[in-house]
Amino acid sequence: MRVPLQNRRPEFVPDQAKWRIASAVAAVAGLFTLVLASLLIINYLQIRATDPLDHPELLKLREQLAAASEPDEALVEQIRTLDLLVRKAFFTSQAQLRLGGRLLLAGAIVFVVAIRLAARWNPKTPAPEGAPDRMGYWRTLAQSRELLTGVAIVLVLATLAAAYLTPLGIPAPVVQEEAGEGAAETDTVSGAPASAVPSWEDMLIQWPSFRGPGGYGVAHFTTAPVNWDLQAGEGIRWNVEAPQGSFNSPVVWGARLFLSGATKELREVYCYDTETGQLLWRQALPAFAGTPETPPKVSEDTGYAAPTMAVHGDRAFAIYATADIACFDFEGRLLWGRNLGVPENHYGHASSLIAFGDKVYVQLDDSKQPRLLALDAATGEDVWSAGRKKISWASPACAPTPFGFQLLLASELDVDGYEPETGTLLWTQEGLDGEVAPSPTISGDVVFVGNEYAMATAVRLSGSTEAVQSEIIWQWEESLPEVASPTSSDDYFYIATSLGEIICLDKNTGEEVWLHEFDQGFYSSPIRVGDRIYVADLQGTMQIFGTGQEFALIAALDLGEPVYATPAYLDGRMYVRTESRLMCIEADAAN
Amino acid sequence: MKLLRTLTLMFAAVVVLGGLAWAEFRFPMPEFESGYEYPEMHTPPPGRTNDLWDVVLLTCALGLAAWFVLKRRSRPAVLGLTVCSLAYFGFWREGCVCPVGSIQNVAEGVLGLEVVSIAVVCFFLLPLVFALFFGRVFCAAVCPLGALQEVVAVRPVILPRAVDGVLGIVPYLYLGLTILAVATGSGYLICQYDPFVGFFRFGASLNMFLAGGVLLVTGLFIGRPYCRFLCPYGVLLGWMSRFSKWHASITPRECIQCRLCEEACPYGAINVPTPDKAPLTAKEGARKLGVILALAPVIVALGACTGLLSHTMLARIHPTVQLAQRIAGEEAGRYQGMTIESEAFRAGVQTKEELYAEAHAVRADFKWKSAVFGGFLGLVLAAMLASLSMAGRRDDYETDRQACVSCARCFPYCPVEKDEGAVAEQKT
Repeated sequence: MRVPLQNRRPEFVPDQAKWRIASAVAAVAGLFTLVLASLLIINYLQIRATDPLDHPELLKLREQLAAASEPDEALVEQIRTLDLLVRKAFFTSQAQLRLGGRLLLAGAIVFVVAIRLAARWNPKTPAPEGAPDRMGYWRTLAQSRELLTGVAIVLVLATLAAAYLTPLGIPAPVVQEEAGEGAAETDTVSGAPASAVPSWEDMLIQWPSFRGPGGYGVAHFTTAPVNWDLQAGEGIRWNVEAPQGSFNSPVVWGARLFLSGATKELREVYCYDTETGQLLWRQALPAFAGTPETPPKVSEDTGYAAPTMAVHGDRAFAIYATADIACFDFEGRLLWGRNLGVPENHYGHASSLIAFGDKVYVQLDDSKQPRLLALDAATGEDVWSAGRKKISWASPACAPTPFGFQLLLASELDVDGYEPETGTLLWTQEGLDGEVAPSPTISGDVVFVGNEYAMATAVRLSGSTEAVQSEIIWQWEESLPEVASPTSSDDYFYIATSLGEIICLDKNTGEEVWLHEFDQGFYSSPIRVGDRIYVADLQGTMQIFGTGQEFALIAALDLGEPVYATPAYLDGRMYVRTESRLMCIEADAAN
Repeated sequence: MKLLRTLTLMFAAVVVLGGLAWAEFRFPMPEFESGYEYPEMHTPPPGRTNDLWDVVLLTCALGLAAWFVLKRRSRPAVLGLTVCSLAYFGFWREGCVCPVGSIQNVAEGVLGLEVVSIAVVCFFLLPLVFALFFGRVFCAAVCPLGALQEVVAVRPVILPRAVDGVLGIVPYLYLGLTILAVATGSGYLICQYDPFVGFFRFGASLNMFLAGGVLLVTGLFIGRPYCRFLCPYGVLLGWMSRFSKWHASITPRECIQCRLCEEACPYGAINVPTPDKAPLTAKEGARKLGVILALAPVIVALGACTGLLSHTMLARIHPTVQLAQRIAGEEAGRYQGMTIESEAFRAGVQTKEELYAEAHAVRADFKWKSAVFGGFLGLVLAAMLASLSMAGRRDDYETDRQACVSCARCFPYCPVEKDEGAVAEQKT
């Protein structure tokens, strides 16, 4: 072993006197910078806490000025003076901060130089001890390998855990963009070819929306069953479990029946075979751009899927309380979807969809910006948007009038008619009040709306297709509907109330033709099927009565459970959603 | 010594606290409601000097540094140049243009995203070219970031080699992230998180000052923490320096194995002589290395998978994703109030939906690029493991060419340097 040489380099020669001086300078410089830094920090915090625009004294004076009935020039001058002072103080503090920063730098430089010199004059002389640990070289390599491997494993696991535990938290984009990326490949169709637009005649023989074709409470078919026995299974074609917790009504097109359901976390669409009641598929909606992580507050009796779906040709549309709207084909593939902006609506969004022509209509009643939207049924893109004065929980109807098809909408204030192609407001009449849930109906040229604690109003349309005139012909203020929407025949309007009353009013005069009181109230809307009216009560009894001048009960048949949804009436069949069941009732069917 | 320690700690406190005091303050904009018209903004012309002049100065500084290190072997000269570089490239030029940050411009140019100026290319290449010939002389005395740490490294300690080696992977991580950020349009990470630029400019965000303060305080005890464990440009310089034609050596002549330099380098850049006898036979060693090399593709694939699975998390470095997260958070009630960014967004014409869609497009863009990033890190890991399994023969104390920053600290420790009489005496 070689003996270390005595190092005679000046770098390692200590000098106690110089070291003391350097240390003293370093101490002074260090203290100076420390004190200065503390002052600067206090100054910084003061500036940070002081917003000259919100100086309390200044705000107080301003409030005094605002409260003064007459201009007070002295007060104005006082405000001006204080404002100037506050601003001067602010900018002086900033200037002090800048100057202090430079002094701090100078102090730090002196400190670093002094402390380096102190170290230089009090050096640590190199003096290796003992024999060199040559085998330590291999040990170090092995330790490095092990440590590196361990750290790499920990890093990978930590990265994966962090990636898993920290979701992006941004609502997903619209489906078309995701589909391009390959997401949801099995359930999503991007750029699906537009289907043939169903005609009104096509719609009439289906149950495409809430309250039937056109959504005004009149069935096209006249052959709904009038006799069944749920307990014996007579007349019951099938009876299956329905999705829980939602109140929307079934819609039917051909051999497919659709319902929607939603919870706080999930929004779904259910498709059933109308022949067997078999659940063919259920699809959950993805989150779209704008879908809130936390859904809006809704009342318990509205839920997250109150709106009834619309089905149109080979497409089914669903909307939820979050204003997520989605379009599925009959195979359960999502064709498009988007979020329309969560509406502020104190019970929750409840207006059902309706499709007509190549558009699907959304009554998006946000209390700040209520509007009627027309979306392209093929793509979901906006076609037009029409503002509304007030919101409601009613649903739009798209009904034939003598002046062409019109979208009929009720709000908390009025009833309106819109041109479906352009969204032009054709007419409006103020004939409602309160929180409106019942939707309009029509008979010939008379539109009829009503709401509890307000009034029912009949509006006669006249003029021409190009210039529709409207006029309130009568109003009714006695027994009024709360939830159920009215229906109509050629001569009468029929109201079903939550107290169990059925009122028949003369279409032209508004006179009460008859009133019948049942034991149970009605939330489900009455539907006219030929010369009969069907309405299910809150106990689960389907009341069937004639449309004539006298009240004539035809049947009162048990459905087993309370009914809130409005059944679908098709050729010889009725599809009913009770509280927990979905059933198909058919004349002459046996289970 | 006790006093010195106290003073050092005091300085540490000053650096951090002083940093706080310099943190940038934004004066709230007055709210004029009286039809006041804001004066037109005038942006002063960029730069206080000609870029070409900077290139010339950089070349001169690099040349001087090489001369001081390799020919003069003078630590005071190197330190003097360090202070000058700190003053000019740091405080005068305010840390910009800087070769460290130029990686991003060059990466943009290579990826075809941006046209890079000649000056920036020169700033990127010159230190690398000098490193290829003379070692990391840029780190020694020209880089303002290195210079700031060099001057505060008063009493640095030597870290255990294994810890030093493991931390050496971080600059690769930072380099990979930097390139990923550039490739995805996420911005210039090196500039955004430059810890010292706040000191050079007398102003930055509080977080930047805190980061810089912490690094400087750490630098009092652990030499050049940014250079060794963060600097992405140091990775490239290390690669070049490893194959440098000439490089600083501890001793100007023959090593006399005196061991005086063993603790001379606080940067862990002195390699000790290897033992004569290895714990494994050549065959066993070769088999071990073979296993690591065979596993290398698996490690790379694992890295790529990790990157792929983490792409959503990585996408958060993109400002659009950050803004979308903020807006979504505000919408969902996770945040109270607005940031300057979210306020500006809400005042603009872009809708939330468009922003969210844009953020998701950014996320998609990160997918495969993150996989490449992960694969790169896997490759680095495999290479490091292989390197640690290859034993080179070394008889003398030598500088680690890749890690050595040519600071000349070790020169005074070598008795051979000027004391040839003593050497001769010892040899006899």
